[in-house]
Amino acid sequence: MYSRKVTIQNRTGLHARPASDFIACASKFKSKITIKRVGEEDDANAKSIVMLLSLGLGQGTEVEITAKGEDEVEAVDALVALIETKFGEE
Amino acid sequence: MMYNGNPVSAGIATGPAYLYTPFKPVVEKKEIDEAQVPQALAQYEDVKGKARAELDAIRDKLEKDDPEKAKIFIAHQDILEDPAMDEEIREVIEEDQLSPESAIAKVYDKFARLLSKAEDDLIRERVADINDVKNRLLRIWFGVPEKNLSTLERPVVVVAHDLFPSDTATLDRSKVLAIVTEIGGATSHSAIIARSYEIPALLGVPGVMDLLTDGETVVVDAVEGKLFTQADDATLDLYAKKREEYLVKAADLKKYRNVKPVTKDGVHIAVHLNIGSAEDKDLAGQDCADGVGLFRSEFLYMGRPELPSEEEQVAIYTKALDTFGADRPVTLRTLDIGGDKKLDSMELPVEDNPFLGLRALRLCFAHPDVFKTQLRAALRAGTHGALWIMFPMVGSMDDIRRAKGMVDEVKKELDAEGVPYGDHVKIGIMIEIPSIAMISDIAAKEVDFASIGTNDLCQYLTAVDRLNPTVSSYYQTYHPAMFRLIGQVVRDFNEAGKPVSVCGEMGGDPLSAAVLIGLGFRKLSMGVASVPSIKKLITGLTIPRAEALARTVVDMSSAEEVEKYLRQELADLL
Repeated sequence: MYSRKVTIQNRTGLHARPASDFIACASKFKSKITIKRVGEEDDANAKSIVMLLSLGLGQGTEVEITAKGEDEVEAVDALVALIETKFGEE
Repeated sequence: MMYNGNPVSAGIATGPAYLYTPFKPVVEKKEIDEAQVPQALAQYEDVKGKARAELDAIRDKLEKDDPEKAKIFIAHQDILEDPAMDEEIREVIEEDQLSPESAIAKVYDKFARLLSKAEDDLIRERVADINDVKNRLLRIWFGVPEKNLSTLERPVVVVAHDLFPSDTATLDRSKVLAIVTEIGGATSHSAIIARSYEIPALLGVPGVMDLLTDGETVVVDAVEGKLFTQADDATLDLYAKKREEYLVKAADLKKYRNVKPVTKDGVHIAVHLNIGSAEDKDLAGQDCADGVGLFRSEFLYMGRPELPSEEEQVAIYTKALDTFGADRPVTLRTLDIGGDKKLDSMELPVEDNPFLGLRALRLCFAHPDVFKTQLRAALRAGTHGALWIMFPMVGSMDDIRRAKGMVDEVKKELDAEGVPYGDHVKIGIMIEIPSIAMISDIAAKEVDFASIGTNDLCQYLTAVDRLNPTVSSYYQTYHPAMFRLIGQVVRDFNEAGKPVSVCGEMGGDPLSAAVLIGLGFRKLSMGVASVPSIKKLITGLTIPRAEALARTVVDMSSAEEVEKYLRQELADLL
C-alpha cells in the first residue's frame, strides 16, 4: 500500500472536466485506488466519477490518495502529478 | 384559451404542438432464483453494451456538429462505466438476487440521492445526468426504441412535462420553434439550453400536456409569458406581426451589447452587471460590462443545510475578482437575508413585518460570527482584482460606523494571524432606506461609495410590501418622489466626489435610466439581459436631453404621468 497527500490548487476543484480527467487517469492503473479528504474517514473509489463528485473536493482541499496493487506507486504518483498540473487551468 | 407561463427565453412562435413524452420507466422490485443469476448478469452486460453503443453514436455525431454538447454525453459515458456503480449493481444481482432492471434502478437511485445532497450546485445538477443514464438503460431493457428530438419531421412547438439534458442536447434546432414545459424555472437546464439556442421558451405552464392535443396549432408568446390555444384568425395575425417586430428589434438590440456606452455628446456611462454567483453562466456577461455593480452574496448561503465556509467564499470571490481584473471593480454586497429570503442553515425569527425586521445588516449584527466570516473571506479575496464591499439595509450613521468597526476588527485579526488581505478594498453602502437617503451628504463623508437599491427604496418610500399582490398598484417606481429623493443622493455623492450608482430594477429600465443619467448618474448596474437596451439608450442620448427629462419628471404629480411622458419622449431610443 502506498499513499501521498496533495492540495487541490485549480480553481474549479475536482468537479466537471478535472474530475473526468482524474478518473480517466486512475482507470489506467490496475491497483485499487481511493481518495479522501485528509483527516476524514469517508474515502471514494478514485475510478468512480459519482463517488468522486460526492466528496465535493474544492480548491484548497488537502486530499490523500492511496493505492494497493501491483502498480500502486506509479498510480499515486501519476494522480498527484495530475493534480499538481492544476488540470491546465491557469 | 390563454394560459400563463414563465418566459425564460424570449421570442414568439406559432406552430403545431408536438407532445413529447420521454420514456418513463416503471420498475417493480423483482427477485430472481439463484440459478438465474448468471443469466441476469449477462443481460445486464448486454444492456450496458447497447447503451454504450447509443452513447458512442450520439457523441460522434455531436463532436462534429456541436462539441460543447458532446461533453454531456462524455459525462454520461463516465457514469455508465462507473466502476463503483457497476460493482454494486453486480452485487445486488448476485447477493440480493434482484432482476437486472430492479438492480439498475436501485443502484442508480441510490447514487442519485448521494449526489443530490452535495453542497455544490454543479454537482447536484449531475443528478439529472445519472437519471438520464438510468432511463437509457431501462428503456433498452424494456425494448423501447430511442425517441428523441433530433429526428423531427417538421417545425414544431415542443411541449413536455420537463426535458432531460439528453433531450435538449440532441434536439434539432432548425425544427424546434419553441419549448413549453409544465415545470422548470429560469435557471433550469431547459431554460439555459433554450437561451443558448435562442429558442423561445415558456416554462412552468401547469398541466399543459393534458390541455393540448398533438398537432394542434399553438401561439407561444415568450416575451409576455402567454400561451394561446384555438386562436382565432385575428390573434394569429396579431402574433405573426408581433413575431416580425420582435425579430427586427432583437436583431437590432444585439448590435448594442458590446458597444462602448458613451452618450452622443461623449460622456461615458459605466454599465455594470448584477450577478448572483461566480458560476460561468453569470460571469459570461463580463465581456460587455465595466464591472460588477452588485454581486448578491446571499445565493451562496441559500438552499443548503450549512453556512458556506470561509475558504469556499474566498475561492468564489477570488474567481469573480480575477475574471474582472484590476481595472473593473466587483461590488460584493454582504449577506442580505431576511425579508423574503430565508436560510436553511440559520433559524430566523418569525416576524409580523419581516421587511421591517431583522434583515440584512441588522441580522449580521445579531450574528457577528457569520458576518465576520464573510468579511474575512472578502478581505482575503481582496488581494485580487478591485474589490468593493457594500452593506445592505443601512438606515443610520450608527449602522455605517458599526459595520466599518467590524471590518477594522477583522483586519486586526488577520494582521495578528499574519494572513494577507486586500489593502485597497473600498467600503460602501446600499441606499434603500429613506432615512439614510435623506442624510446622504453626511453618509458620503464616511463611505467610499454608494449604490441605490431602487426596489427596496421604493417599497420603503411608498410604504408598499412589494410581494403583496393586493397592493401592487401602489408600488410605483416612477413616483416623482423616487426621482426627487434619488436626485438628492446623486447630487450629494457627486459633490463629495464619491462614486454612486443604481443597481435596482430602475438601472436596467431604459425609461428610468434616461432620467437617472439626467439626475447625474454616470454608472448603472443591471442584469446582463438589460445591457443591450440600456446601451442603445445611452448611445442615442445627450446629457442635456437627459437633464431636461429629469427636470420635467421631478415636477410632475403622478407616476402615471411620468411614465406616459417618458414613453413618448424616448420613443426613438426604446
